[in-house]
Amino acid sequence: MSPHESLHTLGRRAFLTRASTGVGLAALGSLIDPGLTRAAGSVLADWPHRPIKAKRVIYLFQSGAPSQMDLFDPKPQMAAHFGKDLPESIRKGQRLTTMTSGQKNFPVAPSMFKFAQHGQSRAWISELMPHLASVADELCFIKSMHTDAINHDPAITFFQTGRQLAGFPSMGSWLSYGLGSANQDLPAYVVLTSFGSGRKDDQPLYDRLWGSGFLPTQHSGVKFRNTGDPVLYLSNPAGMDRTLRRDTLDQLGELNRQRHEQIGDPEIEARIAQYEMAFRMQASVPDLTDLKSEPQHVLDLYGPDVNRPGSYAANCLLARRLAERDVRFIQLFHMGWDHHGGLPNAIRGQCRDTDQPTAALIKDLKQRGLLDDTLIVWGGEFGRTIYSQGTLTETNYGRDHHPRCFTVLLAGGGIKPGFTLGETDDFSYNIVRDPVSIYDLHATMLHLLGIDHHRLSYKFQGLDARLTGVEGAKVVRAVLA
Amino acid sequence: MPTVRPLLLLAAALAGPAGAAERLQFNRDIRPILTENCYYCHGPDANHREAGLRLDVREEALEALAPGQPDRSEVMARILTDDADDLMPPPDSHKKLTPAEKETLRRWVAEGAEYQGHWAFIAPVRPAVPAKQPGARNPVDAFLLARLQAEKLNFAPQADPRTLARRLALDLTGLPPAPALVESFAANPTDRAYEALVEQLMESPAYGEHMAAQWLDFARYADSHGFQTDSSRSMWPWRDWVIRAFNANLPFDRFTVEQLAGDLLPDPALDQVVATGFHRNHRINGEGGIIDEEWRLENIIDRVDTTGATWMGLTLGCARCHDHKYDPISQREFYQLFAFFNNIDETGVIRGASNRTGGNPDPSIKVPDSEQQKQLAALQVAVKTAEAAVRDAEAQLPALLAAWEPGFRDTLAQNRPQWQPLSEETVRATNGTTFTRLEDGSWLAGGPNPAKDTYVIEAPLVAGTLSGLRLEVLPDPSLPGGSVGRNSNGNFVLTRIEAEINAPGLSKPQRLVFTEVEAAYSQKGWGIESLIADATARKAKRAATKGKNRGKGWAVDGNTRREANRAMLLTEEAVSVPKGARLTVRLVHDTLANHQVGRFRLALAGAPPESVTLAGDGAAPADIRDILARARDQRDASQQARLNAFFRAGFDSPVKRADAALAKARRELTAFEDKLPSVMVMRELPEPRPARILLRGEYDKPGDEVTAATPAVLPPLPAGAPRNRLTFARWLTSPEHPLTARVWVNRQWERFFGRGLVKSSENFGVQSDPPSHPELLDWLATEFMQGGWDMKRLQKWIVMSAAYRQDSGLRHLPADFLARDPENRLLARAPRLRLSAEAIRDQALAISGLLDARAGGPSVRPYMPEGVWDETSRYGDLRGYKPDPQGGLYRRTLYTIWKRTAAPPTMLLFDSPSRETCTVKRSRTNTPLQALALLNEVTYFEAARVLAQRMLQEGGATPAKRIAWAFARVTGRPPEASEAAVLAAGLERQIARFRAAPAEAEALLNHGHAPRPAQLDTIELAAHTVTANVLLNLDEVVTRE
Repeated sequence: MSPHESLHTLGRRAFLTRASTGVGLAALGSLIDPGLTRAAGSVLADWPHRPIKAKRVIYLFQSGAPSQMDLFDPKPQMAAHFGKDLPESIRKGQRLTTMTSGQKNFPVAPSMFKFAQHGQSRAWISELMPHLASVADELCFIKSMHTDAINHDPAITFFQTGRQLAGFPSMGSWLSYGLGSANQDLPAYVVLTSFGSGRKDDQPLYDRLWGSGFLPTQHSGVKFRNTGDPVLYLSNPAGMDRTLRRDTLDQLGELNRQRHEQIGDPEIEARIAQYEMAFRMQASVPDLTDLKSEPQHVLDLYGPDVNRPGSYAANCLLARRLAERDVRFIQLFHMGWDHHGGLPNAIRGQCRDTDQPTAALIKDLKQRGLLDDTLIVWGGEFGRTIYSQGTLTETNYGRDHHPRCFTVLLAGGGIKPGFTLGETDDFSYNIVRDPVSIYDLHATMLHLLGIDHHRLSYKFQGLDARLTGVEGAKVVRAVLA
Repeated sequence: MPTVRPLLLLAAALAGPAGAAERLQFNRDIRPILTENCYYCHGPDANHREAGLRLDVREEALEALAPGQPDRSEVMARILTDDADDLMPPPDSHKKLTPAEKETLRRWVAEGAEYQGHWAFIAPVRPAVPAKQPGARNPVDAFLLARLQAEKLNFAPQADPRTLARRLALDLTGLPPAPALVESFAANPTDRAYEALVEQLMESPAYGEHMAAQWLDFARYADSHGFQTDSSRSMWPWRDWVIRAFNANLPFDRFTVEQLAGDLLPDPALDQVVATGFHRNHRINGEGGIIDEEWRLENIIDRVDTTGATWMGLTLGCARCHDHKYDPISQREFYQLFAFFNNIDETGVIRGASNRTGGNPDPSIKVPDSEQQKQLAALQVAVKTAEAAVRDAEAQLPALLAAWEPGFRDTLAQNRPQWQPLSEETVRATNGTTFTRLEDGSWLAGGPNPAKDTYVIEAPLVAGTLSGLRLEVLPDPSLPGGSVGRNSNGNFVLTRIEAEINAPGLSKPQRLVFTEVEAAYSQKGWGIESLIADATARKAKRAATKGKNRGKGWAVDGNTRREANRAMLLTEEAVSVPKGARLTVRLVHDTLANHQVGRFRLALAGAPPESVTLAGDGAAPADIRDILARARDQRDASQQARLNAFFRAGFDSPVKRADAALAKARRELTAFEDKLPSVMVMRELPEPRPARILLRGEYDKPGDEVTAATPAVLPPLPAGAPRNRLTFARWLTSPEHPLTARVWVNRQWERFFGRGLVKSSENFGVQSDPPSHPELLDWLATEFMQGGWDMKRLQKWIVMSAAYRQDSGLRHLPADFLARDPENRLLARAPRLRLSAEAIRDQALAISGLLDARAGGPSVRPYMPEGVWDETSRYGDLRGYKPDPQGGLYRRTLYTIWKRTAAPPTMLLFDSPSRETCTVKRSRTNTPLQALALLNEVTYFEAARVLAQRMLQEGGATPAKRIAWAFARVTGRPPEASEAAVLAAGLERQIARFRAAPAEAEALLNHGHAPRPAQLDTIELAAHTVTANVLLNLDEVVTRE
C-alpha cells in the first residue's frame, strides 16, 4: 500500500467514524461510492443490529395535522354532546393554543362524516377515505400517538428531528449518515412536496425539516422540485448537450488528475468522483422523474391528479419509482391539513388529494413485491380538538391543534397488518391505552431498518446525540409483524 | 488494511509519551476515559447520579477508588469483573473499556489517583517560548518546531510565491489576489514584500467583509424571522457594523462589550447601540396561537447558548433541563446566566400584521447615515420652528374667538340643513345601466346589469363653498332580495368615487381630493376608507393581495342588511366654487362582477369640513350650541376650552394655519423617520424581570428564583459591580477568564490552518479534544490579551509564521508520518482547504470581473432558481423572489438576502448553516450537488462567459496565450505544458463543434444579464466559454492551496 492510498483509506474511515467536520479527505457523503461506504461498515460498523424488516421508508407526512376523529378515530357517542361544553373532567386544565384559549366555551363538534368497518380486520374508516378503506387489511393504526408541541413549527420540527427547536438532524439525514446510500446514482434521502386543495394558505414547510442539523451537510434530504430541474442545477446550460458536457468533464478530470499527481491530496480524487457522479445523476434523475414510461393502468390507479407534476398523486408514483431504485428514505409532505375553520369542506379537498394515491401506492408496491420490505408511514404533526374553534353548526366546524392524541398509519415492511393499537377517550381528547411517543415511533422505524436506536449516535457538543433523545424511547413491539 | 489504530497512535503521540516510567497525568491519560465512559451516571449531574457515586471530584470518589490500592478499589473491581450484572460501564450503556484503558486506570489508582482541574477552566499562564530553531520565523514556529522535531520532522519548504499570494488573499479577504499583485510579489518575493502584502490585504475593505461572514454564522444573522411564516426583518445595519468593526480592527474586548451590552455603556454612541443587534438576531416566532412567554424564554435560552458557544466554547444548553452531564455547570447556574439576558423590553414574539408582512419587533432604533442625519436634523428644526409659530399664534386666540362668535351664532340661527340635495342633475352610465328618478329624488338603476359599470352624475353648482359629498344607498323592492345592490345577493361593491368641478374660469377640471370618510355601516374587510386610500397605497395593496378582492372598495353586507345606508366624503378644506360651475361625480364599480349600487341619492355640503356630520343635523354638535347659548362669563373653563378647540380646528385663522403648518412639519418628520433603516437592539427594562429555574427546561414549570451570576468554576464577577449585561461582558474579557481569549485564538488558528489547536473548537469543556500544542495555545492567548485584544495583530502572528507559509503538497512527506498524522495536526505541511460557500462565488465574480464591490446596505437579490421561496410556503412577505438586475446580481455573497427556512441553495450546498441557530463551525463536504452547481448555475456559467470575453479581449492573440492568461487568473500560476495542452485541444474541438452548430453557440452565450460585446465572434466566444467553465471548476480553483 502506498502512503497515499493509506491516507485515503484512513481519511475515509476517520471521517466516517469520528470527525464532525471532515478530515483531509473531507466528507464523502451518502452520495459517493456506497459500496465502499458499506464495506467500511458505514458509521454503524455492526449494522444490522436487528433483522432488517424494511429496506426503505416512504413517509407520507400530512402537514398541518389531519383531524383524527373525522378520519380514523370515530366517536359516535359525541352526537349526544353536540354543542355542549367539553367537560372539565376531560380537558383537565391542559394548555390550549391562544387561538382558542380565549373562547368562552368549548362546544363539542361531533364529526359529520359517516364511518364504517372495512376488511377482515373490521377497521373503522371514514367515508372520506374510500380508497384507503379498500386496503384496510394492509394498514396498522396507532390511535394513541402524542406529542409535546402545540404549534406547527415546533411540532413538525419535533416529528422530523426529535427536537422542537432548529439545529438537529432530520430522521432521513440520520439514516443517510448511518447507512449511506444503497443507490450509486441517487441520494439516500429524497423529499417531495405538494400543496393541498383543502386550504389555500397551507402551513409552510422549512428546509430544516429535511436538514442535516449538526451532521455533515451532505446528509441533508435532497428536495426534488416541482418546477424546473427536479434537482437544483441538474441541467446543463442551454447550448451544452450531454456530449459536450462529457468533453468538459474529461478535460476537467484530466487536469485534476494531473494536479493530484503533483500534490497527492486524496481530496482531489474525491472531487473527480463527485463530478462523475454528477454526470450520472444528469441521466438517472430525469429517467427517474419521467412518468411517460408508466402504463395507463398504473397511472389510472393513482387517479387523475397523477398527470399534474407536483401533485400528491404524482409524488406517490414518484415515491414508488424511488423505492424501486432503493432510495432509503423517501418523504412526501402534503400541505393543507390545518383546518381551524370550515373543516368539513377543507378536509374533503385534502382527502380527494390523498386518498386514492395513498391507496394506489400501497397496491402498486404490493403487486411489485416491494411492500414487504418498504415501511409506509402516514400522519401529521399532532391531532385536532373535539371542540369547535369558532362557530359550530351541524355541517360546519373548525378544530384547533391537539397534541394529546392523534392517529398515525403504518403499513408494509415488518408491520402487523390489519391491526389497531391504542385507544382514546370518548372525546378523542386523552389516551386511555398504549400511548406512543414520537421517540417510540422513531425507535420503531429504526428497529425495522435493522438499527438499535441507541447505537445511531453522533458526538455533538460532547454528547452522544441521538434521534430518539435521552428520555427512554421504546420500540413499539405490538405493531411488529 | 489499516484499522483505526494509527489514529490512536497519533492521539498518544500528540498527547506525549506515557511510557512505563513516567507518571500518568489525569488530564492527558485519565479524564478522557472517565468522561467518555463514567461521568454520564457518575458525573456533575446530581439528578442523574447512580448509586450516589461521583467520580469527577476526587474527595467524593476517594472511598470507591482506594488510591494506591487498586486491588481493594471498588471502582476497579467493577471495571474488571466478568459478571455482567456488576460490570461497569453496564453493557446496556453500549460503552466498553478496552484492556489498555482498564490497565491505564489501574495504574492511575496504583499511582495514587491524583486529579487535575480541567485545563480550559484554569487561566492561561504565558509559557516560555522554546529556544529559537533554524526555520523558525517567530514564536509560533518555535512551539510548532519543538513538537515536530520531537518526531524527527521539520516544516515543509516554503510555498511558491504565487501560491502564497493567492493563499493570503483568499484567507484575508475571501477574494483572489489582483493579477498585478501576484506578479509583483512573484518578481520580488522577499520577507519584506511578504509582510507588505499581508498589511495591504488587511487594510483592504474586503478584509472586514470576509471576517464578518463567519461572525454572521455565530450571530445567526438573517433577513427573516425564521419560524413558520418567516417574514422579513431588517438587521443589515448590524451586519454593516460588524464589517466596519473588523476593518477598524476594533479590539476584541470592545467588540465583545459593545455587542453584548453597548446599550448599557455610559452615553452610548448610536453605533454602540446598533452593535447590540447581536442578541436580537435570533429567530422570533409569530405563529398564530403561540403563548408569548414560551417563546420569549426560548429566545433568552438561545442567547445563553449562543454566548456560551461563541465566547466560551461551552455547551451551556446542556444545562437547560438538568445539571450538565460533563462540565461543572449546574442547571441553577444556567438560569443565573439566563438572568443577564432576561431583562429586555420585548414581548419575545412577533405580533399582529407584522407576522405576515415582516418588520422589526421592539426594541428597535432608526439608523440614519450621515447624510440622513443632516436631513433629519433639518426636519427636527422645522418642527421646532412650527411649534414656536403655534405658540405665537395662540396668543391671538381670545381675540380671534371673540370676533368669530357673533357671526357663527347667526349662522346657527339660520339653521340651514348641512346637506343640500343635488338639483337639475343628469345621471348616465358608461356601460349600459339605465336610471329612473323616484319621487324622493333618488335614482333607481335598471336595465341590463353589466359586469362592471360607472355611474356618471352631473349637476350645476351654486357659487360658494363645497366641502363634502354624501351618498345615500336605499333599498328597493325591484332590487335582488329587496336590498340595496344589484348583484344577485343584493350586495354592491363601490370601488371608488371621483368628483370634479368644471367652470368657465377653470383651465382644467378641479379634482376634489377627499381626505376623510365616514359610513353608517361597512362590511368587514370592505371599509369605506378604501375609497380614499391614495393611488400609491391602493396599488401596493393590490400587488400584495394579488387577485384577492379584499379591501378594494366599500360594501355593506347587502345580502343580509337590506337597509338604507349612507356615507360621506369630506375635503380637507372647503373648496371655493366659482360662478357657473358644474359638478361631475363618478361612482366606479370595478372590483367584483355585477356588484353595482341599486338605488342612490347624492347631496352636497359647503360648511367647514370639521363641522359637517353624516346626519347633517347642523353646523355644530349639541354641546357647542349649548356653550354658545351661554354668555361668556357663564361658561366654565372646560366649556371655554371645548369652544376654543372647536373654533381652532374648524375655522380659518392664523392659529389654524399655524396648527396646519406644525402638523405638516411633523408629518414630514415622521414620514422621513419611517423610511430610515431600522435595526433591532437591546434595551434594558428599568427593573429586572424575575428569573426562575425552569424545571426540565419547560416554560410552564418555573422553579426557584435566581439572580444573575456566573458559574462557580469560572472567575467571580468583580465585587460590587452591578449584576447586568455590561458587567457580564466585561467579565468575559477580563484577564482572569480562562476561556474567551483561548477560544478566539483557537478560532483564528482554525481559520488559517483548517483545524484548531483544540480540534473541537465548538467545545472547550471536559469532553473537548485536548489541544495539540497546549503551550502555543496559551502563549497566543496571553499574547492576545496583553497586546490589547488586537485582532489583526493576532492574525499577523499566524500568517507571518513559517508554518503558515509552507507548501501544502503531500508528496514530499515521509510515508510513516502520513499514517500517523492524517489530520495534519502537527503541521508538517500547510493544509489544502476547500473555499467557503461565499469565497467560491465571490472568486468567480472577481475572476470574471463581474464583482460589484460596493460595501454594505440592504441585502440584495442575486440569481436564484424560480420557486425556491414559493414551493413550500404561501405565507409571509418573502415570496415571489426575483433576481435584481439593478445592482443585486454581483455583490459579495455576504450581502445575499437570507430567508432562514429557504436559505440560498448554493450556500447550503457548500456547507453554510441555515442561520436558525448559532453555528460556530461549518462542515467541509465534497458532493455531486456541488459539482452540478459549479457547472451549471447561472452565476458560474455567466462568469465563465464573461471570463471568455476577457480572454478574447485581453488574453492575447493566440489560443495558447489566452489559455495561459485565463489559467493564471483562476489559479494564480501559469499552466504546465501538459495542462495547457489539454485545454488547447479542448478549445480546438469546441471551435469545430460550434462551427458545425452555430445555433448551439448562440444559445450557450445566452445566460446571465452581463453585456456581451457585439464585436466578438460567436463561435470563438462559445468555445472559450466552455474552456472557462472547465477552468472555474478545477479542484485547485475551489481550493486554497
